[in-house]
Amino acid sequence: MTAPKIPDTCPRCDSHDVSLLTASPVPGRWFMYACGVCFYSWRSTEPGYATDPAAYPAAFKIDPTDIPKMLVVPSIPTRRGGTP
Amino acid sequence: MIMAYADLRDFLAALDRNGQLLRFTDPVPLEPDLGAAARAVSNVTDRGPALLFEDIDGYERARVALNVVGSWPNHALMLGLDKDTSLKEQFFAFARRADAFPVEAERVGTERVGTERADDAPWREHAVETDINLFHLLPLFRLNRYDAGSYIDKAAVVTRDPDDPENFDTQNVGIYRIQVKGTDRLGIQPVPAHDIGIHLRKAEERGENLPIAIAIGNEPVITTIAGMPLAYDESENEMAGAVQGAPYRIARAPLTGMDVPWGAEVVIEGEIIGGVREIEGPFGEFTGFYSGGRRQPVIAVHRVHHRTDPIFEHLYLGRPWAELDYTVALNTSVPLYRQLKQDYPEVVAVNAMYTHGLLGIISVRPRYGGFAKAVGVRAMTTPHGLGYCKVIIVVDDTVDPFNLAQVMWSLSVKFHPAHDLVVLPDLSILPLDPSSEPPGISHKVVLDATTPIAPEQRGHFSQEVDQPAGTQEWENRIKRLLT
Ligand SMILES: [Zn+2]
Repeated sequence: MTAPKIPDTCPRCDSHDVSLLTASPVPGRWFMYACGVCFYSWRSTEPGYATDPAAYPAAFKIDPTDIPKMLVVPSIPTRRGGTP
Repeated sequence: MIMAYADLRDFLAALDRNGQLLRFTDPVPLEPDLGAAARAVSNVTDRGPALLFEDIDGYERARVALNVVGSWPNHALMLGLDKDTSLKEQFFAFARRADAFPVEAERVGTERVGTERADDAPWREHAVETDINLFHLLPLFRLNRYDAGSYIDKAAVVTRDPDDPENFDTQNVGIYRIQVKGTDRLGIQPVPAHDIGIHLRKAEERGENLPIAIAIGNEPVITTIAGMPLAYDESENEMAGAVQGAPYRIARAPLTGMDVPWGAEVVIEGEIIGGVREIEGPFGEFTGFYSGGRRQPVIAVHRVHHRTDPIFEHLYLGRPWAELDYTVALNTSVPLYRQLKQDYPEVVAVNAMYTHGLLGIISVRPRYGGFAKAVGVRAMTTPHGLGYCKVIIVVDDTVDPFNLAQVMWSLSVKFHPAHDLVVLPDLSILPLDPSSEPPGISHKVVLDATTPIAPEQRGHFSQEVDQPAGTQEWENRIKRLLT
């Protein structure tokens, strides 16, 4: 099977850390890709709204610089015995 | 004796016998068709079938089951009742059976943790420990348009209390949304208030990872009970036994020692990695809105057990009504009913099936003026009410809270805005409620639609129209003629 052409941009956060997640068990049907920054994943056969950075709606776009500021749920407790 | 289903396949066969299963043997694309089909069946009818897809694009033999409990007939069949059993009758059957709690589980296989002795659970047929690829094992797919990826959202997720790992009662079976982030890596949403949140906090306080088992594709009772608000030390397996009327059959997951449903299609074993949080979501939720974009825990998958050609059972959720609303309808209403009934035997029935109980309707026989309002406020202070019960409507005992026509009649003629509206400011609510501000805080309201009684003397309710004599006999006669 020919290697897939991995998209160079995440549709959601526009970063370039995109890798091949998996290929269809029946060869050649589809590929899945994953973003290493925002953990968005998509299938090559999905409509443009899920795969095209230009079509991804602003309300759902993620700015990578916002990720470290996102709420941590649940918060990480202090270790017993005082070690943080 | 009530019939208990051995596994998902047994239940699908029962649905089929009752005309409640649709099979699709034509090839189907994963997106957007599977999510669309599951959405569509709830749009069309509340008596719809389960959907079984048998030819999934890109897979040799994968199967996907959707909407398995997504209608009142399917819910009745889950309880072993006739598929035409009314919702109110299903409620009282569920409540009666819950009174039998706890029913001790049936343990199959006696092996100790870490040993490899086989037992007969069908999911023990295959085990994978290297090169795990969940996407090849199961046809995972995106459910709603802007979900972050593929999710597992109807699995029985099992964890133990790290401070008391041998305790069966505090072992938890719950349902949590799980984002499949990699071929062997998952994101999970363990709400701090839920039992798994308590287990994770203890593990992280100890500086440990939290072992976890995830059982996919189960008979319907355990997943229904897994979504039921139970106390921390109440065993879901023992409640499932009560509700199905027979001991619940469990088997031990060999790597983690978790007790998982014997009949599962797939059992994933792994660990929540202590101290790690990573962006998860958004995911279309039962509120009808997306939630997420928060940093949440991550699971490393270490081993997967599965049957040959496992069925991927998945659940659609989004704007109500969808399958989720059926699965949480009575498992939410019954605990509220049982808790209220303890303090107030005058409570007749509770319908808390709107958005998991964000809105609930209580039918009560008021003892004196003001009583119905007190019962409404009490619902808000039950454990589930702390996160839900934003709107409580109280109706008379003569009104069926599951009959919205009767509830609306009560509100329209008995409710007086100057006397019957109780607003409680700034109470706790689940942060997923999109109206809460800040997230997790909201006013709540009781709408008292009961008839005023002494010492409240107001309104003109003395000349109620009752049914002509013989109406019940005519009802029965007409029903017979219609069948
Ligand atoms: Zn991204």
